[in-house]
Amino acid sequence: MSEALRLRGVSLSLGDFALRDITFTLAQGEIFVILGPSGAGKSVLLETIAGFHRPDSGRILIGERDMTDAQPEVRRVGLIFQDYALFPHLTVARNVQFACRADASRAHGLLSRLGLMHLAERKPANLSGGEKQRVALARALAMDPRVFLFDEPLSAQDARSRDALRDELKSLLRQLELPAVYVTHDQTEALVLADRLAVMSAGELLQVGTTSEVFNTPASEFVARFVGVETVLEGRTVAAEDGDVRIQLGGHEIHAVGEAVTSRVLVCIRPENVALSRRRSADSSMRNQFNARVASVSSLGHLFKITLDCGFPLTAYVTKQSYLELNLEPGASVVAAFKATAIHLINRE
Amino acid sequence: MSATARGPSRSLLLVFWLAGGVLLAFILLPLLQMVASQTSARLGHVAAMAEVRSAIVLSLEAAFATTAIACLLGVPLAYLLARVEFPGKTVIEAVVDVPLAIPHTVVGIALLFVFGRTGVVGASVNALTGYQFWGTFGGIVVAMLFVSITYTVNAARVGFESVNTRLEKVARTLGVGPWGVFGQVTLPLAGRGILTGLTLTFARSISEYGAVIVLTYFPMTAPVKIYDLFMQTGLDDSSAMAVLFLAVSLTLFILFRHLTRGRRSTRRGSG
Repeated sequence: MSEALRLRGVSLSLGDFALRDITFTLAQGEIFVILGPSGAGKSVLLETIAGFHRPDSGRILIGERDMTDAQPEVRRVGLIFQDYALFPHLTVARNVQFACRADASRAHGLLSRLGLMHLAERKPANLSGGEKQRVALARALAMDPRVFLFDEPLSAQDARSRDALRDELKSLLRQLELPAVYVTHDQTEALVLADRLAVMSAGELLQVGTTSEVFNTPASEFVARFVGVETVLEGRTVAAEDGDVRIQLGGHEIHAVGEAVTSRVLVCIRPENVALSRRRSADSSMRNQFNARVASVSSLGHLFKITLDCGFPLTAYVTKQSYLELNLEPGASVVAAFKATAIHLINRE
Repeated sequence: MSATARGPSRSLLLVFWLAGGVLLAFILLPLLQMVASQTSARLGHVAAMAEVRSAIVLSLEAAFATTAIACLLGVPLAYLLARVEFPGKTVIEAVVDVPLAIPHTVVGIALLFVFGRTGVVGASVNALTGYQFWGTFGGIVVAMLFVSITYTVNAARVGFESVNTRLEKVARTLGVGPWGVFGQVTLPLAGRGILTGLTLTFARSISEYGAVIVLTYFPMTAPVKIYDLFMQTGLDDSSAMAVLFLAVSLTLFILFRHLTRGRRSTRRGSG
């Protein structure tokens, strides 16, 4: 099956801002998430795909057709903005019929498919977040899009409805089997929605891969920090043989699995991979165990974030139960443990 | 001190209401006094005068024509000012506001330099078509347009600025070209601002005197005729005609304002 969307070396400068050599492909039915901080250029990238900016170089192919120079109205992209950008002066039915390809019966079919028939004569201002989302999807579907583009649709929603809207969106996209590029600054959205993802900063895609590749084996310190790796420390390779790498870190030696090419490496440890206990474990797979002192504690809602001093700084997430059982107040002593396989190394020059 | 969390204090509101009340009285008292001093006999006498009726009709026609031209010429400029960044934009914004700052007799005299006998537009139009801008309907409209166009441009601009450009982008992706998007999304959503501007332009046009008399004393518009009656017969007939004219123009003004305000709710049923 052919790709739904291909970007090849798309570059664009727009005042002070530039997109640099953006290349990725989107398979049919795939959700590709672009994750990055605000100002990274995510919206400009989507608007370039939609046809609102002309690239200085590079090509954009939608399906088999080169659309680099095409006007937005012929590209057949379903653009979904923050707050859904429904036409406030039109009823739900007229919003869905807005697409020039949509006749009344097609619009009618989409309204009933998305459970919106009872809202057909309402104005968007009177709809809930979930209803707006479905109207926006129905409106875009009316012109039979080849690809969906989502520009942080959930970022203006409150935390509780955001979770529900995200889950509903995911199941709708799965049902409809439509390819989508989805940009967000929210890691959780990326984790829940993405088949593959890219991390973007300053107009560049820093890393493209599956969700697990990017989250577990980030290619740079920026990516590591952006996808929630709390511990990123510089260490020195002491020895490396048969995939077992020993690294000097703040007066301690830790074991990692992998290839250390350079003598200086960045050690990445995700906070959920650090286990805390009262005493050292006999489990032989826990090759890295250190006596640690609790430096600070903060609540993340469901979890507690514990920063530790074990000769080097380390951050762990624990459940409330562990927090209470281990009495993890600042100053408390615990044992921090992580597997050699839980460490990701980034080679440094 | 729980009072600190409340809104403005009572004494402040009281003083402000007093000041506002004085202002409202200042606007309404002269008008009400003038209306109250009329007798139906005198109103009937003035209303029966052919030149009074034709002056009021002429004022209405000229103000409507001015408003139509203001819409055609002012709305595009308003859109450009709302949506496009270009060098010299602040200069153009200032130019749009200039008519508000010039004495209206000066406006009339300046217009004569362009639309008068020897003016570049006046002379060439006269040579090509025989039409002239002095002493004609065209002269009235030119004078009205100059003094009232600012309102249309500024209010329509605010209207365009209030339209989220994302709506226009989404509309483009739905297969509608730029002109279609302007007609189906931008214009309806900016419509309230545009109508507000046109209403103000109409009101300003119909009340214009100073610029109009310089270009066109005859045929007389209502304000000119009122001044004419005042000079000939004093307060009696002029104030009676003033009340008639006030009734016509205020009725229209209130009607337009109502239409502008009620646009959304009346449209809801038809959608």
